[in-house]
Amino acid sequence: MLKNYIITALRNLWRNKFFSFINIFGLSIGISCCMLIFLYAKDEVSFDRFHEKKDQIYRVVAEIRSPDGKVNKESSTGMAQGPRFDANIPEIEDAVRMELTDFHIKQGSEVIEQSALFVDDRFFSFFSFPLLYGDPKTALQDPHSVVLSEDLARRYFGKADAIGKTLQMKAGEDFEPFVVSAVVKNPPANSSIKTDMLVSMKFQEARQEGNLFWMNFYLNTFVTLKKGADLQKTEAAMNRVYNQEAAAQISDMAKNYGFNEKVSYHLQPLLNMHLDTDYPAENGVVSGSNPLYSYILMAITGVILLIACINFINLTVARSLKRAKEIGIRKVIGGQRKSLVLQFMGESMVLGLFAFMLAIALTFALLPLFNSLSEKALSFSYLLDGKLVLAYIGLFLLTSFLAGFYPALVLSAFKPVETLYGKFRFTGKNYLSKGLIVFQFSLTTFLIVATVIVYSQFNYLLGFDLGYDHGRVMRVKTPKMNASGYEVLKNELMANPSIQALTAQNGGQWRTIAHVNGDVEQQFDIRGVSDNYFSFFGIPVIMGRNFSPAFPSDSISSVVVNESFVKAAGWKNPIGETVDFFYEHRKCTVIGVIRDYHYSSLLENVSPQLFSMNPQLRYKQVYLKFREGSRPQAIEHARAVLRKLYPAQPYQYDFLDDLIAENYSSEARWKQIISFAAVLTIFISCIGLFGLASLSAEKRAKEIGIRKVLGASVSVIMRNITLDFLLLVLVAACMALPLAWMAGNAWLQNYPYRISLHPFIFAGAALAVVFFALLTVSYQAIKAARSNPVRNLRTD
Amino acid sequence: MIALNHIYKYVNQGGTRVFLLRDISLNIAQGEFISIMGPSGSGKTTLLNVMGMLDEADEGEYLFLDQPVKALKEKQRSALYKQHIGFVFQAYHLIDELTVYENIETPLLYKDYKSSERSAMVCEMLDKFNMVAKKDLFPHQLSGGQQQLVGIARAIVSKPTLLLADEPTGNLNSQQGQEIMELFKKLNSEGLTIIQVTHSEKNAAYGSRIINLSDGRIEN
Repeated sequence: MLKNYIITALRNLWRNKFFSFINIFGLSIGISCCMLIFLYAKDEVSFDRFHEKKDQIYRVVAEIRSPDGKVNKESSTGMAQGPRFDANIPEIEDAVRMELTDFHIKQGSEVIEQSALFVDDRFFSFFSFPLLYGDPKTALQDPHSVVLSEDLARRYFGKADAIGKTLQMKAGEDFEPFVVSAVVKNPPANSSIKTDMLVSMKFQEARQEGNLFWMNFYLNTFVTLKKGADLQKTEAAMNRVYNQEAAAQISDMAKNYGFNEKVSYHLQPLLNMHLDTDYPAENGVVSGSNPLYSYILMAITGVILLIACINFINLTVARSLKRAKEIGIRKVIGGQRKSLVLQFMGESMVLGLFAFMLAIALTFALLPLFNSLSEKALSFSYLLDGKLVLAYIGLFLLTSFLAGFYPALVLSAFKPVETLYGKFRFTGKNYLSKGLIVFQFSLTTFLIVATVIVYSQFNYLLGFDLGYDHGRVMRVKTPKMNASGYEVLKNELMANPSIQALTAQNGGQWRTIAHVNGDVEQQFDIRGVSDNYFSFFGIPVIMGRNFSPAFPSDSISSVVVNESFVKAAGWKNPIGETVDFFYEHRKCTVIGVIRDYHYSSLLENVSPQLFSMNPQLRYKQVYLKFREGSRPQAIEHARAVLRKLYPAQPYQYDFLDDLIAENYSSEARWKQIISFAAVLTIFISCIGLFGLASLSAEKRAKEIGIRKVLGASVSVIMRNITLDFLLLVLVAACMALPLAWMAGNAWLQNYPYRISLHPFIFAGAALAVVFFALLTVSYQAIKAARSNPVRNLRTD
Repeated sequence: MIALNHIYKYVNQGGTRVFLLRDISLNIAQGEFISIMGPSGSGKTTLLNVMGMLDEADEGEYLFLDQPVKALKEKQRSALYKQHIGFVFQAYHLIDELTVYENIETPLLYKDYKSSERSAMVCEMLDKFNMVAKKDLFPHQLSGGQQQLVGIARAIVSKPTLLLADEPTGNLNSQQGQEIMELFKKLNSEGLTIIQVTHSEKNAAYGSRIINLSDGRIEN
């Protein structure tokens, strides 16, 4: 019996190559997308599971509550928390701290920057990172020992076994020798902790004073709980220890800096860390991910698979007329409805199997593309995992069932008397089929609108006038420089004609607080700049004056603020107002106000900003504007100058335009993903429509023949065929547009600077869908309309 | 074997009732070879379908092997005709995707015969109809007469007691038709009850009894 079914199925597939191709190809795209998503999801949930103590490891996180009720979630701690909790709480078995840092490393005549982690010496018994060489117990005992990953060992020493080799490394002011004490296996791709270079925390402790300061948050503290320890009890104990031991520091902070926030500590399971949006993986813990990505990808994939299944259902039901005779015969010679349902389900399984095999090939081919889209390093070998194989078999069965069940029910219900005596006409209004087409094209329209909106918003963000001049600007990192050091560098750099202008800024991004209007606390972004900063970037000073060498006191007691600062402080006449850096006992006077410019990404509104020439804010980067077309010369010249002046400093530069675009990398990724999804859905929907149109033309061959004989022109007949389908597509577009409008609006609310949804976008998308549908259908319509009527009328 | 008592069948067309069968009463005994004749539209095929339980009468009583067909549930009814009745059609109605062998085998599959039994029964048929050489051909590779032979082989392979044939020679030339009729006669002599619908006087004459239909009535 089974053999009979499979034979019929295969011969049927072969006989209808065209439709089989549409079905198999469409389904395989859908299945392939699902496979990729499974891989993605599996990778997401597999993060950090390779640690032996994975169920015992927690990260110490903090909630910082300000008096106004605002809660700031902090995933890091200071130096004190780990050792103090460990010493005082019996439930805690061990604690390991991990701090991200940068080393400068001498490699021949070059100096390169290498990121590394300071970790406590029990690191290798705490986490499961197997060592290739060296002893896990002693590897981190010596403050001047360093552990390298296999890759890094090869890069520095040309071989993995680098035990005993020495690296000249600089964390502070001077280079010091570090001895390689162990080589660790490269961490797996699904590890939140990337162990390229590890240095003992003892080295860091020796450099710092006041190790047991509780009130800062810059490193990760992990603890292991004893088996069976009560989580809540442990958390309560942690807060008790904090309130006892940090009491003096808290009151000190309150007195000196007006600190009035309440800190409470919690434990975050290691396994939750990767996908946690409250306490993201940061500060040396990497690859944190928002589960939203998984959900959106899953939804898109589901849509694609659904559309492919709809094709299968529609084509099978529409083609059933041809199968009607066979069904009648089978019933007359003894086939029960049940066995016919089985037969048709079996057929969809066979087809599903082909689609599945093609999907495996497709997945293989698409994996590199998908990896770059999803920023993952998924490998095809993941597919061989037992659970995933089960999931794929499930997917295969689900797809076959989804696609095959309805047609099987419809087809098996045919009455033999009707089908065998040619009375049979599949005359039902076919609401389901039409509904499915509408559904398909609604999804397609929706995705097209989404694509257009994402594209427009992206281009809007990139093309936005940020209020300053960022073209042809290169940023070069320097060591800390004072004003005279900068003068030397400036003279050297400006000697080359490729460089047009130069300005300097302190390093990093800093936010701080100060008192305005007496003792009102205000938060703001602070920058230490050189006096030509505003003219360099073309930022207009709209009130008062710029910094000037003519006023020697500028560098000590003058500040320039932006408009938002003025607004936040509520000043009517800002010039001459006082900004009181109370914790430094230093008062500054506002000498000028600049126009607001978008110094951070457009995902945020411009917030208060303050500029100072305070020599304490030492320069750590220079911006240089190169002349049109002389970018390579500028890069080379700056390299030569820096090498000459600062031979121990790695040469690091970027371009401001790239840095700005980086702000929108997540948008860029979504832009790509959503356009891929849209292209796929249009494609699958249209091949389905193509098949349906061809069937419709075939079914109506006789009618078309009669019309032609009666004198209808080709265009009239074409209109006849295309109109049916176009109407459905139009209905679909009308249904999808309001939804797309709402979704687009909701998405745009995330952006303080956003496009307005012009009706053009929607009209354009609707037109595009109609155009694609028309293109698809008209091929068949023309073919039908131009066919010879005599032939069509003879056979019936 | 078959007893029809006052059978009526009609369709409603725009308010008026059109009768396909009127007051048909008919008894057919085991082993008979009946030919049903009559002009187009006289209700021959409808009558055949009613007897084959593919269609249902609107009024009247139909006893098949002394069982009242109307009282049976759909499932029992189809089980009954599947066990006892074989069908042959004017247009052969073979499954295009299956070979000669597979076409003949299909009814056996539905009746859950074992594989070895099936092949024995199919081979017996192929042998009987001299089609062994053609067993792997597809229907479109055969002539009309050969296709009809396959159709008959398929209808009788599972040993029914009644064969219903709807113009079995309608698409064949006279020589092929004659061969089919000879075959029917032979099958009838082996004990198979046959009811055929035909236009041809000559073919009708092969039957042991001729029933003339006109406007849905039996003419005497």
